[in-house]
Amino acid sequence: MSWAQIAIDGLALGAAYALVALGFVLILNAAGAVNFAQGDLVMAGGFFAVVLAGLLPLEGIAVPGLALAPLVVLAGGASGWLVAEVAYRPLRRRPAETVFISTIAVGIVLQHGANGIFGAAERRTPPLVAGDALHVGGVNVTLQSLSIIATAAIVIVLLRQLLERTQLGRRLRAAAEDPEMARALGIPVRRLTALAFALGAGLAALAGLLLANVYFVTPTAGLAFMLKAYIAVTIGGWGSLRGAVAGALLVALFEVIAGRLFSATVADALLYVALLLALLFRPQGLFGEAVGRRA
Amino acid sequence: MSGRERIASVGASPLWIPAAIVIGLLAAAAGAYEQRLLAIAGCYALAVLGYQFIFGRVGALSLAQGAFFGLGAYASALMSLTLGWDFARAFPAAIALALILAAIVGGIVLRLASHYFALATLAVAELLRIVVVEWVSLTGGGNGLPNVPGFVLFDWTVPRGWPVTAFVWGWAALGTLLAVNFSASLYGDGARLLRTEPLAAAATGIDQAGRRMSAFLLSAAFGAAGGALYVHTLGVVSPEALQFDVMVLILCMTVIGGRNAVAGALVGALLLVHLPEWFRAFERWALFAYGAGLLLAVIAAPEGIAGTIETQWRRWLRAAPAAAPRAPAPPKAEAARALPYTEDRAILATQALGIAFGGNQALAGVTLFVRPGEILGVIGPNGSGKTTLLNLLSGFYRPDSGRILFDGRDVTSLAAWQRARAGLARSFQHGALVADLTALDNVAVAANAIAAHACRPRVADVFRLPGRDGKRRRARAAALTALAALGAAKLAAKPGAELSAAERRWVELARALVAEPKAILLDEPAAGLSDAEKAALRAALREIAARGVAIVLVDHGMPFLLPLASRVVCLDAGRVIAAGTPAEVAADPGVRRAYLGTGAPLMKEVGA
Repeated sequence: MSWAQIAIDGLALGAAYALVALGFVLILNAAGAVNFAQGDLVMAGGFFAVVLAGLLPLEGIAVPGLALAPLVVLAGGASGWLVAEVAYRPLRRRPAETVFISTIAVGIVLQHGANGIFGAAERRTPPLVAGDALHVGGVNVTLQSLSIIATAAIVIVLLRQLLERTQLGRRLRAAAEDPEMARALGIPVRRLTALAFALGAGLAALAGLLLANVYFVTPTAGLAFMLKAYIAVTIGGWGSLRGAVAGALLVALFEVIAGRLFSATVADALLYVALLLALLFRPQGLFGEAVGRRA
Repeated sequence: MSGRERIASVGASPLWIPAAIVIGLLAAAAGAYEQRLLAIAGCYALAVLGYQFIFGRVGALSLAQGAFFGLGAYASALMSLTLGWDFARAFPAAIALALILAAIVGGIVLRLASHYFALATLAVAELLRIVVVEWVSLTGGGNGLPNVPGFVLFDWTVPRGWPVTAFVWGWAALGTLLAVNFSASLYGDGARLLRTEPLAAAATGIDQAGRRMSAFLLSAAFGAAGGALYVHTLGVVSPEALQFDVMVLILCMTVIGGRNAVAGALVGALLLVHLPEWFRAFERWALFAYGAGLLLAVIAAPEGIAGTIETQWRRWLRAAPAAAPRAPAPPKAEAARALPYTEDRAILATQALGIAFGGNQALAGVTLFVRPGEILGVIGPNGSGKTTLLNLLSGFYRPDSGRILFDGRDVTSLAAWQRARAGLARSFQHGALVADLTALDNVAVAANAIAAHACRPRVADVFRLPGRDGKRRRARAAALTALAALGAAKLAAKPGAELSAAERRWVELARALVAEPKAILLDEPAAGLSDAEKAALRAALREIAARGVAIVLVDHGMPFLLPLASRVVCLDAGRVIAAGTPAEVAADPGVRRAYLGTGAPLMKEVGA
C-alpha cells in the first residue's frame, strides 16, 4: 500500500464528500440551520440512480452513470425544493433548532421510505464511465475514482462561477446573508432559498450516484454521510464554502489512512474522538465563525 | 376557585390522560405479549421524561438520549450477568455509570453552540455504539447478550406478566412525580426563562452552565433508568438499543407527545409503542409514519398532543372570572433596612472602561459612579454606547480595558449571573418575560435565583407531593409584595404573553427589585408609556431610590429623565462628553450639539 494509492483513494472519497458538504453549507447559509437530511438525500440520490438505471434499458448495454447524472441531479434538486417548501418555509420564523428537527424528520421519512420500497438490501449504481482500472507504477486507479474526482472538480468550479460571477449567485448570497435587506431590495428571497435547497440536494444526489457505485447504497447509509459532511463543515469553518471542501478532503484522507492502518469502524471511532478533542480545545469551531458579540 | 389556586394550576400537566390510558391498557392486557408491550412503553416513558429536561426545558438539542438508554441497558445487563448482581444493585449502578459519562461528556459539549452541541452528542452516541459492537468479549458484539435475568430484588423475583408491567410503571410513576416537581417549581420556571430569554435569566442570577449541566445529568439518569428496566423486561439486549433509531424514536415521542408537558412524555411513549401493534400492516412503515408525524407536529402542533391540551385547558380555566390575589403585608424587615453605605461612597463605579467591536470603538475611557439612593441618568444620541455600557455593567460583555467595581469589589471578570446574585439587577428594552408564565411567576423566578441559592434542587424537594412547594410559595409571596409595591398586584395572574407594553415594564421592574438588589440598571423603562404611566413610573423610581437602591437609568426622553436624575452623564461616540447635575448637562453646548445638532433647549422644566 503506497502513499500514492492512499492519496488517490482519499482524493476520490474527499471529492464526493466535498459535494455533500458544499450542499450542506449552501442550505446552511440559506436557511440558517443545519440540514440533517443531507445524508439521506445522498442515499436518495443513490436510489434515484438505481431506479433510473432500471427504467432505461438499452438492449444489452449497461446505461453509463454519466447518462443518468443529469436526471439524478434533477430528481435530487426537486427533492430539495420540496424539503424547502415543506420542512423549512413554514418554520422560517421559528428558532433554527426547529428546522434542525424538521430536517431530522425528513431524514427519517426518506430512510424508512426507501426501506419500505426497496428493502434493506445493498444496491449498486452503474459506474460513471465503464472501463478497466489503470495501473500506474503499482497504483491501482479505477476509472470511477478518476471520474469522481473529475466530476467534483468540474462541479466545484461551476458552482464557484455561479456564486461569484453571475447575478443569480450574487442574489443567492445576498438572500442568505440578510434576508430582510434582500427582500427590501426586491430580491425574491423565497424562491432563492428554495433554489439553495435544490442546489444543495442536487449536489447530495450527485454524490449519491458517484458513491453508490463504489460503496453500494442501503436505506441506512445516510447518517454516515451526514456526519462526515457535518464534521467537514465544523472543521473547515462553519458556513464557509471553501472550508467545506478542505474539511471534506481532510475527513476523507483521515478515513482512508486510519481505515488502512486499522479498520473502517476504528477509523470512524477515531474520527469522532478527533472531533470531540477539536471541540474541547476550540469550542467555537476550528476556524471560528463570522458571528460578532451581541447582547 | 380562588385566585391563588388558579395561579397554581397554570402549568399543571393533564396527567389524567396517560394515567387513564395506562390503567385501561393494564386492565385490557390479557396476554403476556400485551403486558410486555405496556411495560416497554413505561421504559421509553422514563427516557422521554429525561429527554424533556435537556431538550424541552433547557432547549438544548441533545442527540445522546438514545445512547444513555442503551448504556443503561448494557450496564445493567452486564452487571447482572458477569457480576451476578441483582436488580437492586445493578439498577442504581447503571444509573451511576450514565451520570459519570454525562458529567464527563457534559463538561466538553455543554458550552458549545447549539449546532456543535447536537453534533458532539451524536458523535458520543456513535462512539459508544462502536465500542459496544467491537468489544465482543464483553458485550457479545453484534449478537448482544441473551438470558438477562428478570427483576430480582434480593431473593425475590418479580413474577412475569402483569407484576413486571406494574413494577416498570411504578418507576415511571416515580419519574413522573420527579418531573412534575421539577417543572412546576422555581427550578422549572427558571429553566423556561433560560430557554426563552437567556440574558434576562443571567440578569436574575441564573447560572446557565450549571442549569444545563443539571438538566443533562437528569436526562442521562432517566435515560439509563429506562434502558435498565427495558433490558430486564425483555431479557436480551443487542446493539440495536444503541442505534440512532432509538434516539429518533425518543425524539418523536417527545415532540409528538409534547416536549414541555410532563404528560406528553407518557402519552408519546404509550402512543408510539402501541401504534405498530394496533395497525399490523403498519409495522414496516412505522418509523416512516413517525417521521411524518414528527414533521407534522413540528409544523402544526409544536407543543405536541399533551401541550396543546394543556394550553386549551389553561385557556378554559382562565375564562372563569377570578379575583386577583390579595397582596400580603410587606415584610417588616423592609422598613427596618438600614443603608449600609455612607453618602460619599459609590456602590457601582467604572474606571476607564473601553470596548471595541471589530474596528468600532464602542466605548472608550468611560469613568462614572453611582451612590446608593442616587439616580444616575445616562443620555446620548443613538449609537453613542448607552446600551453597550449597560451590557458591560451587567456582565454580558467583557471590557477590553478598564475596571468595574461593585459593592466594594472588582467584578470585571464576574459572569452576569454572579453579578446578579451579588445584588446588581437590570431591565431590558423589550421586556424579557416568559410568555407562558404568569406575571407573578415571572417575578418569583428572580426572587428565588438570588436568595440563598435556593434554586439548587434538594432531594427533599424532589420527592414531595405536588403542590407542597414551600420555596415556590415564599417566592410568590415576595413577588406579590414586589408587584404590590409598584401598584401592579392586579397583574399577578396574567400570563406574560397577554401583558401590554406598559404592564411588561412594571413586571420587569418588579422582577429586578424582588431580590432586593443594591443597584439596578434600567434600559429605557419609559419608552412607549403614556404621560400618566410615566408619572407613575417616576414616582416609583423615586421611592426605590429613597430606599437606598442605586439606579442607572438610560433613557431618550429628556422630560422624563432630567427631573428624575440626581446626576447625568452624556455619552457621544462612546465617550463621556459631559457629567454633572441635570441642569449643567442640559446647558452644556457640547451636549446640545451632539444630542440635538442645534441650540434648541433640551427641556422646558429643568429641576421640576
